[in-house]
Amino acid sequence: MKGLKHFSVTVRVWRQAGPKEPGKMVSYKVKDVSPDMSFLEMLDVLNDNLLKKGDTPIAFESDCREGICGCCGLVVNGDVHGPDEHSTVCQLHMRRFSDGDVITVEPWRVKSFPVIKDLVVDRSSFDRLIAAGGFISVNTGAAPDANSVPVEKDKAEEAMDAAACIGCGACVASCPNGAAMLFVGAKVSQLALLPQGTPERANRALNMVAAMDKEGFGNCTNEYECEAVCPKDVKVANIARLNREFLLANLFSKK
Amino acid sequence: MDITFIKRFITTSIGRKAVMAVSGLLLGGFMLVHLAENLLLFKGEIFYNGWVDFLLSNPITPFLEAGLLALFLAHIAAGTWVRVEDFLNAPRGYEARKWQGGRTIGSATMLYTAAAILAYLTYHMLTFRFVDHSMGFYQMVTGAFRSPVFVAVYVAGAAALALHLSHGMQSAFQTLGVNHPKYTPLIKLGGLLVALAMIGFALISVYYLAGIDLKSAEAGYQVVIIK
Amino acid sequence: MKLDAQIPAGPIEKKWDSHKFNLKLVNPNNRRKFDILVVGSGLAGASAAASLGELGYNVKVFTLHDSPRRAHSIAAQGGINAAKNYPNDGDSVWRLFHDTVKGGDYRAREANVYRLAQLSGQIIDHCAAIGVPFAREYGGLLSNRSFGGAQLSRTFYARGQTGQQLLVGAYSAMMRQVAAGTVTVMPRREMVDIVMKGGRARGITVRNLVTGDLEAHSGHAVLLCTGGYANVFYLSTNAASCNVSAIWTAYKKGAGLANPCFTQIHPTCIPRSGEHQSKLTLMSESLRNDGRVWVPKAKGDHRPANEVPEEERDYFLERRYPAFGNLVPRDIASRAAKTVVDSGYGVGRTAQAVYLDFRDSIKRKTEEKIKDEYGNLFDMYYQITDENGYKTPMRIYPAPHYTMGGLWVDYNLMTTIPGLFALGEANFSDHGANRLGASALMQGLADGFFIAPSTVAGYLGATKFEAATTLDREFTDSAKQVQEKVNRIIAIKGHKTPSELHRQLGNVMWNDVGMARSEALLKKALKKIPEIREDFWKDVTVSGADKDFNPTLEKALKVADFLEFAELFVKDALERKESCGGHFREESCTPEGEAKRDDENFSHASVWEYQGEGKEAVLHKEPLAFEHIKMAERSYK
Repeated sequence: MKGLKHFSVTVRVWRQAGPKEPGKMVSYKVKDVSPDMSFLEMLDVLNDNLLKKGDTPIAFESDCREGICGCCGLVVNGDVHGPDEHSTVCQLHMRRFSDGDVITVEPWRVKSFPVIKDLVVDRSSFDRLIAAGGFISVNTGAAPDANSVPVEKDKAEEAMDAAACIGCGACVASCPNGAAMLFVGAKVSQLALLPQGTPERANRALNMVAAMDKEGFGNCTNEYECEAVCPKDVKVANIARLNREFLLANLFSKK
Repeated sequence: MDITFIKRFITTSIGRKAVMAVSGLLLGGFMLVHLAENLLLFKGEIFYNGWVDFLLSNPITPFLEAGLLALFLAHIAAGTWVRVEDFLNAPRGYEARKWQGGRTIGSATMLYTAAAILAYLTYHMLTFRFVDHSMGFYQMVTGAFRSPVFVAVYVAGAAALALHLSHGMQSAFQTLGVNHPKYTPLIKLGGLLVALAMIGFALISVYYLAGIDLKSAEAGYQVVIIK
Repeated sequence: MKLDAQIPAGPIEKKWDSHKFNLKLVNPNNRRKFDILVVGSGLAGASAAASLGELGYNVKVFTLHDSPRRAHSIAAQGGINAAKNYPNDGDSVWRLFHDTVKGGDYRAREANVYRLAQLSGQIIDHCAAIGVPFAREYGGLLSNRSFGGAQLSRTFYARGQTGQQLLVGAYSAMMRQVAAGTVTVMPRREMVDIVMKGGRARGITVRNLVTGDLEAHSGHAVLLCTGGYANVFYLSTNAASCNVSAIWTAYKKGAGLANPCFTQIHPTCIPRSGEHQSKLTLMSESLRNDGRVWVPKAKGDHRPANEVPEEERDYFLERRYPAFGNLVPRDIASRAAKTVVDSGYGVGRTAQAVYLDFRDSIKRKTEEKIKDEYGNLFDMYYQITDENGYKTPMRIYPAPHYTMGGLWVDYNLMTTIPGLFALGEANFSDHGANRLGASALMQGLADGFFIAPSTVAGYLGATKFEAATTLDREFTDSAKQVQEKVNRIIAIKGHKTPSELHRQLGNVMWNDVGMARSEALLKKALKKIPEIREDFWKDVTVSGADKDFNPTLEKALKVADFLEFAELFVKDALERKESCGGHFREESCTPEGEAKRDDENFSHASVWEYQGEGKEAVLHKEPLAFEHIKMAERSYK
């Protein structure tokens, strides 16, 4: 049967003891890798071995391991989220590698996502962006019947396309400029496309862009690397919509 | 009158990119007009010099020229600002980094082509704008085009411009919020055609360098004589 | 321990309204003086925090993730039920109430379930209003689908990502309150203790997962929204960080723990491929609408699936349950798969799987159609197994998915500890012994958005609080005790990793306390679990420092709790000698091998009370009365 043969790989991984410590690449040999293993399971095995030897395991983040929670995020051999298209690194499997491969594993290296330890970074800047306006201001209990506000099906689908974002940060990590436009664009788009989000769309665009600039994300230069790596295939059309929302909001705001 | 809103606008990331996009699009438009003017060289010395005289004697021209300068300065200022910030915020330190197909040669080299264009522009100004025009514009231009060194620089400038516009034109639309499943492919194609048109500058100069005009001019005389 | 469910008097339709009227209110100006600690930021936690924040309370939310948006509610695929009756197919609050009680095999509290059904419509209204992009019809109105074998369409959905969309919706609502200053989010913090003062829950001790520091937080009410404990099986569809620790801490502080053995095993998961496996991936059970489940008729038949001729295939669900066929409820489908695999008919390399075959549907409907409906699931299957489900049958096997058991709560969602509330999957819930598909999201949001804001206010308004600050002895003692536990674990420096021990526990739980339970197996498990626990405290290894970002230590703390909790789980399973819902006792079945409930002796919730280290827990019973729904046998023949 296919895929039974086990093999060995060398993992070169970024080790950094703390936010202010210097980091370096360290090589580890991992034997007995099954092609059916996921990439993160291979790291689990490596970690258990390190632990048994009394070494400190490699810190990396992952939770659901089915590509939806957005916890995981590694640069594998220079590929953000690994070589598979539009997927998270937790969905990468070892059958993509062969015996003797040297695999380089790095964290997101973004100024606005500082490293906490090894491969773990702090993405709380994304939460602050949402707090700046990524919501609809309706209190619990105040909503009208859900069917009293019809939403054009195509618009609802487009909103859903944008809402598929899992907040993993791959867009920023892959952007040559470290911009967060795809993340912000996705949220602004989702809420601008729905009639429920229309009353505060102008303020939302202004506030979220202001927060984005404050957090120290770069400027978008329309290179579209973000779209190419996004595990949920969120499109740069959302960035255009963010630009449009922002420019119109500026043009027509009375302030 | 309170105009702090302008300052507030251009200090936002999207605001200053909008400045870059609008100025870029207008400059792109100017380049097309410029190319059309260069094509007038083919109409011969008398026609060309007549056109230039008309331009120079026109009272609007100084304003246009000032506007053009303003566009260039705005474009350069906004671009520099964006790029300096990006330089400060860019992900740094990836040991291995592969681009995933979003980047194009044009988009990846924007900064370099921008520098090349600026350098060429300076040269262009020094050779055509701030010189003695008494010999007549046609002679000045075609004369320059017969110098291999000049043409080499000129072709390089046009190539940098083409590369710059190959990303810049469609990028400007995206920045201004124009992205549509039906029209964006057309916009991208249009942007590439504009970029490709810049090769026209190079072709014109090569045309004169190769002396094709001299041969056809002789042919032209013969036609006149027979008539 | 006194179990008073606080069910309001009056007709069932009026209970919630009259109860809300009778609950004390808190003056708007006084609300900000009340500190509410919400542990967990999933659907229940985020929605509770958002609503309480909107009301003006001072709320702190704790999550062990880097962001509140990561909670495992995000992984729910199918949808959320609501009795809106938009499709005009005869749905009503009464019917949803009825279906939920029946689906739970008559082991839930009527009044709570009725309230859940009542609130279901409002949840949809609110979620649509806060920007959840539900699926729509061309006319712009909301779309519904039938789910989990329900006979009408009452499930609202957002593609296969309903949980994600609802969670992000609740999260945004909460982040709005963060901006408004009423909610503070404390990420990367794990609750390690509940602090009691004057007989009430008055605070928590949390471990800062970045620095390892223990932090004290005082408050007037503590809301545990910490999810379920299916990871006691090691392999489950839950995320890696799902754990029992918060529930277990509450139990040890005196909160009753109800029906811990009620577990839902989901039939359509991708089977494990080897020892290294870290989690199991669920595929929506909608696949059973078009897939046919079978195994070869001959034991140990190793031929590739497509070479097994039709007459040599055993479509065992269709054979055993001709009326429902492949669409029997989750618990029944899961057990049937286990039976054939245990008898040696399993397929694939590990022989721990059955086939889910789309050959006939593809023939009938074309591959194109199947791709339209389930394309993403086939892609997911391919990504994990490297097999093309269109060409060869998928291999599936059941996996632990959801736990109906949890902290016992009264009608106010308050545990037996005053001031300690439990919301969502963390409480023993409205799902009885078996949860219907698309009902978990409904319950989490009903608890958080609508119930807790009223009942927590009721508690705050009716209580005279003594002063409590984090400088109190109770807080410093708590931190000291936790620190001692941490030091003890770090000092062991043994040879076994926490994951290894967790896997050992999982094997015992899955093999002996899994889908089919018998007295002999349960007793066997009761012997093995303490052995693993002893092993843990003798031989676990955790490298690295305590005052550091140390995921291994986090894991060890969770495994330590699982190892204690598992024993109570098994005891509960042993005590409940009937089969009901997800709990199947081999001793209690019909001659045909189907589950048999024992309403005479087991129509109650089993509530366990902690008695102290090394002492037997005491069982209390909350009798369940069914006044509105006639109890009947669940039959799918």
